[in-house]
Amino acid sequence: MPRSEALGRGMRLTGLAADIRNEWRAGNRSRLAQLLVVALVVIAIATFVGSIMTGAADASLANVWRWLIGEADQALSIRDRIIILDIRLPRAVLGMLVGASLAVSGVVMQGLFRNPLADPGLVGVSSGASLGAVLLIVLGTAAFGPLFALFGFYALPVAAFFGGLVTTLLLYRIATRGGQTSIATLLLAGIALGALTGAVTGVLVFMADDKQLRDLTFWGLGSLAGANWTKILASAPIILLSLAVTPFLARGLNAITLGEAAAFHMGIPVQRLKNVAIVSVAAATGASVAVSGGIGFVGIVVPHLLRLVIGPDHRYLLPASALLGGTLLILADMIARTIVSPAELPIGIVTAFIGAPFFLWILLRGRSNMGL
Amino acid sequence: MINVSNLSVRLGGRPVIHGVSLEARPGALTAIVGPNGCGKTTTLKAISGELAPAGGTIRINGRDLRGLKPWELASMRGVLPQSTVISFPFTVREVVRLGLAAGANADAALHDRIAAEALEAVDLGGFAGRFYQELSGGEQQRVQLARVLCQISEPVTDGQPRYLLLDEPVSSLDIRHQLGIMQLARSFCERGGGVVAVMHDLNLTAMFADHMVMMKAGKVRASGAPAEVLTDETMEAVFGCRMRVGVAPPAPVPFVLPQTASL
Repeated sequence: MPRSEALGRGMRLTGLAADIRNEWRAGNRSRLAQLLVVALVVIAIATFVGSIMTGAADASLANVWRWLIGEADQALSIRDRIIILDIRLPRAVLGMLVGASLAVSGVVMQGLFRNPLADPGLVGVSSGASLGAVLLIVLGTAAFGPLFALFGFYALPVAAFFGGLVTTLLLYRIATRGGQTSIATLLLAGIALGALTGAVTGVLVFMADDKQLRDLTFWGLGSLAGANWTKILASAPIILLSLAVTPFLARGLNAITLGEAAAFHMGIPVQRLKNVAIVSVAAATGASVAVSGGIGFVGIVVPHLLRLVIGPDHRYLLPASALLGGTLLILADMIARTIVSPAELPIGIVTAFIGAPFFLWILLRGRSNMGL
Repeated sequence: MINVSNLSVRLGGRPVIHGVSLEARPGALTAIVGPNGCGKTTTLKAISGELAPAGGTIRINGRDLRGLKPWELASMRGVLPQSTVISFPFTVREVVRLGLAAGANADAALHDRIAAEALEAVDLGGFAGRFYQELSGGEQQRVQLARVLCQISEPVTDGQPRYLLLDEPVSSLDIRHQLGIMQLARSFCERGGGVVAVMHDLNLTAMFADHMVMMKAGKVRASGAPAEVLTDETMEAVFGCRMRVGVAPPAPVPFVLPQTASL
């Protein structure tokens, strides 16, 4: 019975792959996109489970399962339980959340600025979010006492959110005139803002005392290595909330690709769309930066790959990016923690090694279409 | 009916439209002409709701523009901008479908047909699968028109006329497509809708417009039927060069008029 079930599932998956191939040949991208989203759900789940089962230490998922359903000897499974439930599982969950949030922030920002090169990491929004977080760590309870009192362990993501929000608003003000965004101005202003926030961050690090320095270093490692359930609790509500509003932005983001004026002509309340988009990008980026530091290039690579296959329709691009972003970040994390095992590479190094050449490839391939 | 009364518009604090009044009736093609920078496009942008007037009122079918939500406006009028750059790899089909999503075409079953008909209407029948970015400027302009025709696919709905606001709809087209698009606009009017078009080509305007509004320096200098507006005197007063209306050049100089075309 289980065997035939598995066989049936296998056949359904092959059927899905064949369907995707057929729609690709027929050039019907919206049907293709729907199928791809389904396929990505399957792949994301498989990757998630796979990452829980692999690692430097041996741990048996079966033992943990037996413990969960109350069949196993408590003493026998305690080591496996800790490795899987307290180390690998939070790490996979955080990877999925952060990856989805980075990719979706990329999509929304690219849609808003009408350009495939706009990415929170690239144009300084992440550095702004970092500055927010560093400000909080260094000036701490003295300056931000009420923030701690109000938000508890949400204080760090909230501070990063405000850092990201201010940067995004500034960028928008600088790069957009009369509804037209200059991508050259956007990227250059992003460099300037990134440098400025970096400098301020440097000053703060300089001012920090020993304990704060340790906090900063720990936080700034920029990896999923420190994943734990507290971090997930602190970031998940913000990330999930900002992901949840994006489907409502899809039609507006589609329309705005023709320009802000054209979007208005097509009945989109443009100002409201921009406000919601900017706040959701800042929130998702802020929460991700707060729990995992700066992880680059996910927001640019994932949407770009998907646009090549299913086109730029945001109704499909948004969910597909969330799924693929989460999947790829978990995979990158698996590489990061196994390639030099038992030591670990920071995941930012892995994503940069994959992402930076990819970014150059996008540039060389599509220069003429990007308004550069 | 679109009613513009005593409209004034400021751009960056500078007044550019001073007390413009005009009417665009359903069933008629209204053309706005005038020299560069005279405020034609600005007037059209005010009518579309894109620019807020500094003074005066604009009414569409009796309703004040200021009281209308973006989505209400989108079901009453479609707007063709001068040119549209897209930096994402949309196919022609996908661009046209953006118009469908914007319009009041509730019946999704009709969407494929409306999109196909709109592309046929602008002579881009086999282009649905092509990438927008790979088309020529004139073809892109016609794709955009097809998108607008998807948004406003019926000239009259619920007994109310709909409008097309076209900013230089034929500026980058060859002569055959210029005539085709103008005929398309004309037939939209004949079926009960209204068209307001910013035009540069005076011959095409004379051929197709029912009503002409000639502007200069942010004001209306003449309006009426093309035969009343296109006179030697107004031409000189508005465009600043002396020329003769309705006079053929001396014999050896070749000239081609769109009026002689047969499609």
